[in-house]
Amino acid sequence: MSYYEQNIPPTREQRLTIGDSFCGKSEDLLDCARSGCLLQKNRRFWQTGSCQMHLSLMMASTVENSVIIMHGPLGCGSTLHNLSPATVKGMNKRGKKGKPLTWLSTNLQEADVISGGERKLRETIEYADRTFRPEIIFVVSTCTPNIIGDDVEEVVRQTQKGVAAHVASIHCPGFKTRVVATAYDSFYHGLLKHIPFEPDLSRANVWVKEEPQAELAELEFNYRKGRTVNLFNATSIGPADEEELVRLLNALQLNVQIYTEYSSLEEYRQMSQAALNISMCNVHDDYLLAYLKEKYGMPYVIEGMPIGVKATRKWLLAVAKHFGLEDKANRIADQEEEKVLKAIQPYLPKLKGKRVLISGGIVRVGEESRVLKELGLEVIGIRAYHYDNGADPVYTSIAEELPEVPVAVSNQLFELANQVVRYKPDLVIGHNGTQGWLAKLGVPSIQLYDVDRAFFGYRGLFSLVKRMAFAFENNSFAQRLAQHVELPYKKEWFSKDAFSYLKD
Amino acid sequence: MGGFIERPRTACALGGALATISALPGVVPVVHSALGCAGNLSNAAAFGSGYCGSSYCSGQSVPTSAVTETEIVFGGTERLAEEIEAALELIDADLFLVLTSCMTEMIGDDVEGVVSEFREEGKPVLALSTPSFKGDAYSGYSIVLEGVFNRYLPKARAKNPKLVNIFGLVPSYDPFFRGDLSEIKRLLEKLGLQVNTFFTPDQTFANLTSAPEAALNILFSRAWGVEFAENFARIHGTPYLITDLPIGPEATDLFLREIGKKLEVESAYIEKVIEQENKEYYGYFQRAVDLFADSDYKFYAAVIANSNNAIPYARFLERELGWIPKDIFVTDILREDQKDALRQGFEAQNLLGELIFESDTSRIEVTLRQRHARDRGEPYFDDDLSPLYILGSSLEKQLALGRGANYLSVSFPVYNRVILDRGYAGYRGGLHLFEDLVDVLVAPK
Repeated sequence: MSYYEQNIPPTREQRLTIGDSFCGKSEDLLDCARSGCLLQKNRRFWQTGSCQMHLSLMMASTVENSVIIMHGPLGCGSTLHNLSPATVKGMNKRGKKGKPLTWLSTNLQEADVISGGERKLRETIEYADRTFRPEIIFVVSTCTPNIIGDDVEEVVRQTQKGVAAHVASIHCPGFKTRVVATAYDSFYHGLLKHIPFEPDLSRANVWVKEEPQAELAELEFNYRKGRTVNLFNATSIGPADEEELVRLLNALQLNVQIYTEYSSLEEYRQMSQAALNISMCNVHDDYLLAYLKEKYGMPYVIEGMPIGVKATRKWLLAVAKHFGLEDKANRIADQEEEKVLKAIQPYLPKLKGKRVLISGGIVRVGEESRVLKELGLEVIGIRAYHYDNGADPVYTSIAEELPEVPVAVSNQLFELANQVVRYKPDLVIGHNGTQGWLAKLGVPSIQLYDVDRAFFGYRGLFSLVKRMAFAFENNSFAQRLAQHVELPYKKEWFSKDAFSYLKD
Repeated sequence: MGGFIERPRTACALGGALATISALPGVVPVVHSALGCAGNLSNAAAFGSGYCGSSYCSGQSVPTSAVTETEIVFGGTERLAEEIEAALELIDADLFLVLTSCMTEMIGDDVEGVVSEFREEGKPVLALSTPSFKGDAYSGYSIVLEGVFNRYLPKARAKNPKLVNIFGLVPSYDPFFRGDLSEIKRLLEKLGLQVNTFFTPDQTFANLTSAPEAALNILFSRAWGVEFAENFARIHGTPYLITDLPIGPEATDLFLREIGKKLEVESAYIEKVIEQENKEYYGYFQRAVDLFADSDYKFYAAVIANSNNAIPYARFLERELGWIPKDIFVTDILREDQKDALRQGFEAQNLLGELIFESDTSRIEVTLRQRHARDRGEPYFDDDLSPLYILGSSLEKQLALGRGANYLSVSFPVYNRVILDRGYAGYRGGLHLFEDLVDVLVAPK
């Protein structure tokens, strides 16, 4: 049975080679993954991180006119209070009307743990449907129902018969995986099992067959579809990035539909009506894009992140190739590169030779490291939050271009703190959620991604360069902070190797 | 209490325990759960409480056993023991609190057993049971207090007749807990008392260890920590006083007299302090009346807050500002006996308005609509509840927009304001609340 037929999606552990604990060089990482030694690696000490459920919620919360039901105890949904204003902002920036999230918790209690939570879930779905009349109800299945054995999929199937909304389950028990990238598959699995990707024919224009305008309309439609691409975004890809990529794709005279975040049911229904699917992240979208290929025969491009001039050209060419537009793509890239390289010139002397530690999502840290090198900075360490073999193409390039740079698979703050104290980088490019801790360490830092700013394409390159130069101007905030704020680690920790708590 | 809830303004017991510990000096949690629980719950509390953020070893720094499917199937005690050992090696703390979660409780891990081995070696480690399906964030606060003060700390050799402990304000879920505690401390110190607030940045672990010596525990909560205070009285022999958080001079005058009586402070002295504080309060306040009175800043009010704060806010609006509170919504999830305690407290104060218990966010809007007509199809008739001012959480923004009401977020979650040392308790807090209420009115200028 293929993964797509299963009720519950596979974890990344089941589907791919993954890891969350490693230190070495890029070549060692690839070797260790191939030989399986990565699977054995672990830590003696862990600090908390994120949960696949949270990443699933990040995606689901952006879907228009939807309601989220957290099937679990009260705490699991509490981060939705944070996500709501972020989503409203994201919608407004994309020209949609932002509305605060509506969500419910089935509030599983001790009695439910003993007798099961299925009835409660059914009642909650029915209440949500008749009270809020959403187009989509996401049912998020957390750790507890998975341990007590609730058949969430069966409840969804049964309840669906009596409710107007499309009910889509997202299975994301946190204990099943430490690799939060599993969330992408879980969310996509929920969509592809429960949400239609084909147009509602009862709403299409009526053409009488064999009349001339029908034939013309069909030709027009097919021409347009043949020039339409789907661009797959992510929570870390902001509206500025979407705009920049749409600008470049429009320059190839392609129409662009953007999925799966900030989409509506009506937009999902158009997903199959395109000639090509394009991902910007090797570890984000393969599960869905392979499905769309299998189901609708839609080809896809997964060609790294368009960060920096080299990767952007490569990405644009990969898309263009599908339409036989390579020459045009090269001309666009030539023209844009000339402009952006001139624009960043004044900033480059400020960046030259600066030592940078970079930390976050595996593809992004890899792609950004290559750009940093091109810009004349020295990458002193790469920290990837997880490893999965989708990222191999990026790390094969790193092994060639930055063979001596230490690469760690770590999302652990104590290891980051140790690296910062021991190796004293001039700048840390860090994942969202760590900047405060970096400030307490006294080191200037910028965000690896920030949905308020551009990272992709030519605008993104300019923005990145300018922000790095800006970070070097006046670090007194972090310096003063570090003098007055205590970190929780004992002094001895900073004389040990950062990865001394790794174990095989 | 056990049904589904729409947009609950609380988290699980583990979430409340983490928020509480994040403000306790020298105390570090070790969470026996999956990798993400502590991070998610800490983020929720930090973000939703005026960005109170992370402290010494909270937020993304919290040590966790990060259990996976293997531990869920085969048991997680070994992994937990390894984690505690490493935490003792790496982290500087006076006390480690090992917290359980839904999954590790369901699989029946013997956490007490793991921890007792460390205790036998003299390590400062204590296990607390905080499964999410047994209680919410507010009960998580009580669980931490019970563990630290009633189980971990030894009985005091002697009492300190001048020392008082303050409990009841739940870190993060009472977004102004630090500012409120600081003002209460300032006032009690003026009466010649020594004060343990535990949760403000001036405190150290020594404040915790001195707690059993206290002559009085003041509990600013009719719903949370009552059982804890009873147990404290039984174990350490310290009596307790349950009272509402005093906001503004009218309530604070009464509070100081109540404390004075309880601890036998000379009443002439109390009156002198009250006079001084009122002189200062009205010295500031009277200068604002040109704006306040000239602009007819008088409103009907709806208060939407937790059981610790809803009544004190309503009282301030009614007694200090002369507003007309109509609906006072209590949003935390309460048992019947807790509701009764609230009702009694409310009735004893003889306040305007009706006390309503409602945890579901859109039910609050529906209730407000049902209770107050906006249109009767009669000429000239205007909204029954206009002009309206809403004191609620950030979730009430939509409600306020929909009703054309002014609105200030004061209750969890608060994510459109930053709250550091701001508090609304006492005299200075009353001035702050007045400033913030009127800020909203003058901001569009």
